[in-house]
Amino acid sequence: MRGSFNRRIDALDDVFRSIDAFVVREGLPEPIAFATKLAVEELFTNLVRHNTGGSDHIDVDLAIEDERLVVRLTDFDVEPFDESSIQPVDVHLPLEDRKVGGLGVHLVRNIFDELTYAYSDRTLCVTAAKNLET
Amino acid sequence: MFDIRRAENGDILLSGRLDASQADKARSVLRTVVESCRVDFGDLEYISSLGLGVLLEAQRRLSESGHGLKLANLSDHLSDLFRLAGFDTIFEIE
Repeated sequence: MRGSFNRRIDALDDVFRSIDAFVVREGLPEPIAFATKLAVEELFTNLVRHNTGGSDHIDVDLAIEDERLVVRLTDFDVEPFDESSIQPVDVHLPLEDRKVGGLGVHLVRNIFDELTYAYSDRTLCVTAAKNLET
Repeated sequence: MFDIRRAENGDILLSGRLDASQADKARSVLRTVVESCRVDFGDLEYISSLGLGVLLEAQRRLSESGHGLKLANLSDHLSDLFRLAGFDTIFEIE
């Protein structure tokens, strides 16, 4: 599945419709469908919120490649991205010290086997991959 | 489609998909909660980190007055997600 979506949080309805169609077409089980939605939403909303100067759309690619689910988002005309700016999340802190920021990336990192960021020619490409072999 | 409402017994009922575009809707209802309350996830299909953040905000606020949210009817997917987020140590889960 390849789709281009408006750089807006309210584009998520369109994004989810495309994911649902992909899930049905590929016959993915519910846990993988859930993981796909989570990765796409977390990465999409991060791009919308943090790369505010980018173009007006974000591309989303979903594929099954070599028994891996590959989720790839491409953001155009953006400033360089520093992956080290993503602060790790400590999920063992007491309630009063918990922070919400960074939780989305934490979840994607734990559910997927790879999460990589590539930047060149003012284009940021974020890829999450999950092994589907049992 | 996401919905959040109070049941007659006081429980909060969640249904549908709680994604980033629906977080404000969830927040507006949870802000009206002032005492310990059960939140029923039985009809909730999906939640992302912003939805989790709304729950965290409510739990933190309620804990200041000795109250808290009790989370009920979590699916296997949601249970796994809550565990990864470390929510199993800061919420009571039925």
